[in-house]
Amino acid sequence: MLKLLSHATKISGMALFMLWSVGPVLFIVVSSLKQPIDIFAYPPQFLFTPTFENYVSLWNSWPAFFETMGNSLIVSIGATALASAVSFLAGYAYSRFSGTWLAASAFYMIAIRLLPPIVVTLPLFPVVDFLGMSDTHATLIVLYAAFWVSLFTMIMKTFIDEVPRELDEAAFVDGATRFQTLWRVILPLAVQGTLAGAIFVFVFSWNEYLFALIFTTNAAKTTPLVISEVMDAIYGTDWGVLFAGVTVQIAPVVALVACAQRLLIAGLTAGSVKG
Amino acid sequence: MTNRFAALPFLAPVHLLLFGVIALPSLYVFWLSLNESSYGTDLVFVGFENYRTILTDPYFWRAAWNTFVVVNVIVYAELLLGLALALAFARKIPFKPLIFAMILVPYAVSEVVGVLVWKILLNPNFGLIGRTLADLGLGLNWSSSPSQGLAVAALIGVWHHLPFTFLLLYAGVLSIPQSLYEAARIDGAGSWQMFWRVTLPLLIPAILITLIFRLVFAFRMFSEIWLLTKGGPARLTEVLAVYLYQGAFRYADFGAASATGWMMVIGSLAVASIYLFEIHKRMVKGDA
Repeated sequence: MLKLLSHATKISGMALFMLWSVGPVLFIVVSSLKQPIDIFAYPPQFLFTPTFENYVSLWNSWPAFFETMGNSLIVSIGATALASAVSFLAGYAYSRFSGTWLAASAFYMIAIRLLPPIVVTLPLFPVVDFLGMSDTHATLIVLYAAFWVSLFTMIMKTFIDEVPRELDEAAFVDGATRFQTLWRVILPLAVQGTLAGAIFVFVFSWNEYLFALIFTTNAAKTTPLVISEVMDAIYGTDWGVLFAGVTVQIAPVVALVACAQRLLIAGLTAGSVKG
Repeated sequence: MTNRFAALPFLAPVHLLLFGVIALPSLYVFWLSLNESSYGTDLVFVGFENYRTILTDPYFWRAAWNTFVVVNVIVYAELLLGLALALAFARKIPFKPLIFAMILVPYAVSEVVGVLVWKILLNPNFGLIGRTLADLGLGLNWSSSPSQGLAVAALIGVWHHLPFTFLLLYAGVLSIPQSLYEAARIDGAGSWQMFWRVTLPLLIPAILITLIFRLVFAFRMFSEIWLLTKGGPARLTEVLAVYLYQGAFRYADFGAASATGWMMVIGSLAVASIYLFEIHKRMVKGDA
C-alpha cells in the first residue's frame, strides 16, 4: 500500500513536471489551430476542429515575418559556422600543445565568457555604428559566436583528447601537413563534439533577444524581435496569426533539441563539468 | 614540441574574437565609466564621479536588490527542482527519451516567446491560469504591483532555465559509478541512506558548478523583466541589466551606464571566483 502510494506520488510528480514544461508551448501550438474567436474562450475548449486559417493569414498578411525568419536563419547558421571553425582549431591546439602560456590563455578564455553581454554593448554600439555595421547580419554573427567560443573550445578539446595522438603521427609520417591532418583525420573523429557545440550556438542565436534589440533596426531584424514588437502592440494584435508565427519559429529548434538529447549531455559534460 | 609558436595560428582566431568583442570592450567600459559622455559629445574625464552618481541613486540600489532577490530565488528553486528531476531520471522510467525531450522543451524556446505565453496564461482577464486565479480571488496585476512583477519574472526564469540546470545535474548523476550503489546495497543501506551517503556527497562538485553557472548567467537577466514590465511601475522592478539599458539607451548617460556595467563585471567575477580559483588550481596541476 505504501509502495503504491509512493509510486502514485512519483508518477503525478513527473506528470506535473511534464505539464509545466510542455503546457505553455502546447497552448501556443493548439491555439494557432483554433479560430481566433475560440482562442480565449473560457472555460477553454479542448475539442475543436483544427483550422489552418491562421497559417494562411500569416503567409498572406505578414510577409515581414518570413523576412525576419530568413534573417534569423542567416545569422544562426553564420554564427554556428564561425564558432565551429574557430573552436575546432583552438580545441585542437589546447589538446595537442601544452605550456604555461597556453594554460593561462585557457584560463582567461573561461573567465572572460562569464562577463555580462550587456556590458560590451556600451562601447560596441558607437563602434559598430561608426563602421557602418549596425543592422547587418555580420555584426550579430560575430557577437553570437564570440559568446560561445569559450565553451565550444573546451568541448572540442575534450573530444579531440579522445583521438589517439598516434593517428596524428601516422598522418605526419605519411607526409600530411598539420591542416591536412586536422581536416582528414581529427575532424571526422571529433564530429560528435562539433555537433554538440554547434547545437548550443544555433539554439542561442535563433532565440537571442538583447543583441538583436540593440544592434538591429530593420534589415537584419530577427524573429524574436519582431514577435516582441507585435506582442506589445496593445490594440489589434491578431493572436491567431501571432501564435501561428510563434509555432513556426519554435518548431525547428524544439525538434532539434528533442532529437539531440545525447549530444547536449555530452557537450555539457565535456565543456563545463570537466571545466 | 617542435616549435613553441606552432599553436599560435590555431589559437589566433578564437583569441582575436574574444579580445575584440569581449575583453577590449569590457576594459574600455572602465575607461568610459571615468568619463562624462553622451551621444555625439567628446569624453570629459570626471574621475569616479559616475560611480558617485549611481551609488547615490536609489534606483540603482533598488535594481541591485531586485537582482539579488530574483537571482537567488530563481537559482535555488531551479537547483531543488533540477535535483529532483535528475534523481528521478537516474532510475528506470518508461518512455524515458520522450519524457526527457518534453522536459527540455523550454530550453529550445526564445525568452520572448516564454514571456509572451506566460503573460497570456497569467492574464487575469483572459488567461487560462490568470482567470482561474482571479475566480479564486487571487487576481494578478503585475503592472501595478512590483513584487508580483518580479515574482512572475522569476517564474518565467525558472521555467526557461530548469532544463539547463537539470542537464548539468543529470550529467553529474550519470558520472556516479553504479558499483558504489551495489556496494552500499550489499552493506545493507536503504535508499534514503544511499542518497545521503553516496549520491549527495559525490554530486557536490556538479551542484557547485551548476550553482555558479546559474548565478553568473541569471545575474545578466534582462529580457524577462524588460518584456514583462519594462522595469515599471515607476522603475520599481528594474534589475541591473535593465537599469544599465535605461541609463545608456534611454537617458543617454553612457558614463553612468558604464559605471553600472563595470560594477556588473566585478559582481560576475566575484560570484565566479570560487569556480575560477578551482579551475586555476587544476590547470596548475596540469590535468584540466
